[in-house]
Amino acid sequence: MDILTVKNLTKRFGKFTAVNNISFSLKEGEILGLLGPNGAGKTTTIQMLLGITTPDAGEINYFENDFFNNRQSCLEKINYTSAFNELQGRETVMENLVVSSLLYQIKNYQKKIFELVDYFGVRNLIDRRYKFLSSGEMSRINLIKSLLNDPKILLMDEPTASLDPDIADKTLEIIENLKKDRNLSILYTSHNMKEVDRICDRIIFLNHGEIFAEDTPSGLTKKMEAISLEEAFIQIVRKKQHVDQKN
Amino acid sequence: MHEYFITKYSVEVINDIIFYPILSIVVFGFMTLYMVGFTGQVVAGNILTGFILWQVINITVYSIAVGCLWDVWSRNLTNIFITPISITEYLISYTFSGALKSLLVVVLATILSAYVFHFNLISFGLVNLVIYFINLAGFGFGFGIIVLGLIFRYGTRVQALSWGLLNIFQPLMAVVYPVTVLPKSLQAVAYIFPPTYIFEAARINIVNQTIQWDLISKAFLLNLIFIMFAIAFFNFMFARSKKLGQFARLEG
Repeated sequence: MDILTVKNLTKRFGKFTAVNNISFSLKEGEILGLLGPNGAGKTTTIQMLLGITTPDAGEINYFENDFFNNRQSCLEKINYTSAFNELQGRETVMENLVVSSLLYQIKNYQKKIFELVDYFGVRNLIDRRYKFLSSGEMSRINLIKSLLNDPKILLMDEPTASLDPDIADKTLEIIENLKKDRNLSILYTSHNMKEVDRICDRIIFLNHGEIFAEDTPSGLTKKMEAISLEEAFIQIVRKKQHVDQKN
Repeated sequence: MHEYFITKYSVEVINDIIFYPILSIVVFGFMTLYMVGFTGQVVAGNILTGFILWQVINITVYSIAVGCLWDVWSRNLTNIFITPISITEYLISYTFSGALKSLLVVVLATILSAYVFHFNLISFGLVNLVIYFINLAGFGFGFGIIVLGLIFRYGTRVQALSWGLLNIFQPLMAVVYPVTVLPKSLQAVAYIFPPTYIFEAARINIVNQTIQWDLISKAFLLNLIFIMFAIAFFNFMFARSKKLGQFARLEG
């Protein structure tokens, strides 16, 4: 069952088209990778899916409800985490989580917070000020924040971007477990093809704001006659650059 | 609660909204004690009254505009705006916390004035003070969301407006002197601002404690128009910011 459908989504900034008429869907319990080179339109797409950037055209439907007319009820069931956003640095981890819980109107939020900090093994961090945490600790707290409202859909924008390989691997393990334990649907962007290959069920390849390819990681690798998803990525980008240069 | 958590760890916030206003009132208080000998109790009282009441506007504007900037600086704004909270709820919560903080400062300033400077703001009458407070906080809300709209639209390069823009208009609102002191052309401009009527009414209260309905009703009416304009302006700027992608780029 599709729990997110995007139809003909378009965003222009002046003469530059960041996202050009893209359509895709996300199924329940699926991890969908949104890939592409820098400036491909991934972050703009996520911003539109979160309602912080207004599209010029197109439709976004969460749980078969139009997002623009049902913003509040849609946002109750989705959440977001990114390497590029942080929580309030001056507050402690606990205070940040309490504020987020109140914004989502979570009943019995103390219990919920302790359940999650125990799941992630970070109970020792709750009284620490957020700005004094390491990148790995911050990413785990961000993930906890994004799970407070028991979302059905999680949007993740390069969640492992600033993490060392060990912490990135642990974060991916957590994401895999979340999918398994909670049947969570995830829209995942990353520049790391190995992790995309590892966790994504399906991928959409964006280039210059358009969907260039849509397949499983292994399907796309095979289609491009590449030995890895990373090589397929490079081939697609260079092929497109070559066509653009010719034109 | 978010505001409370940030404030308790932020010396600069406590300084800006509590310590600095109280310190300024102390300075003005001593100045009025000195001036009483030359100008009499009324003029000195005018200055102290104006300065105490001005804090209601100042703190409400600061609370709305700088409150949001704390989340921009922390790259936390997106986390707030992707929750089910509506923009109306967001603004009301900041206005409420701003009004609470101004109330705290006004109460502290009133106690200080009464005991140290022998000037009792309560003698204006509680009804008068409540009316003044509502009007000034209402104007602060309107002004605060105009500043916030500009920040949303133009980003942190205009963040200094949070502290500075209000002060540009302060001389026109005749806070510590009667409107008649201003040049004729500026008097007309002064009467565009709702707080001008409140400060005029408060000055009358120093000698006469009756409720100045004529001035208050003008202030209420102008405030209503100003707040409606401010809401429309904010909504336009917010929508424009989201359309241009500026809102998502606020966190840099």
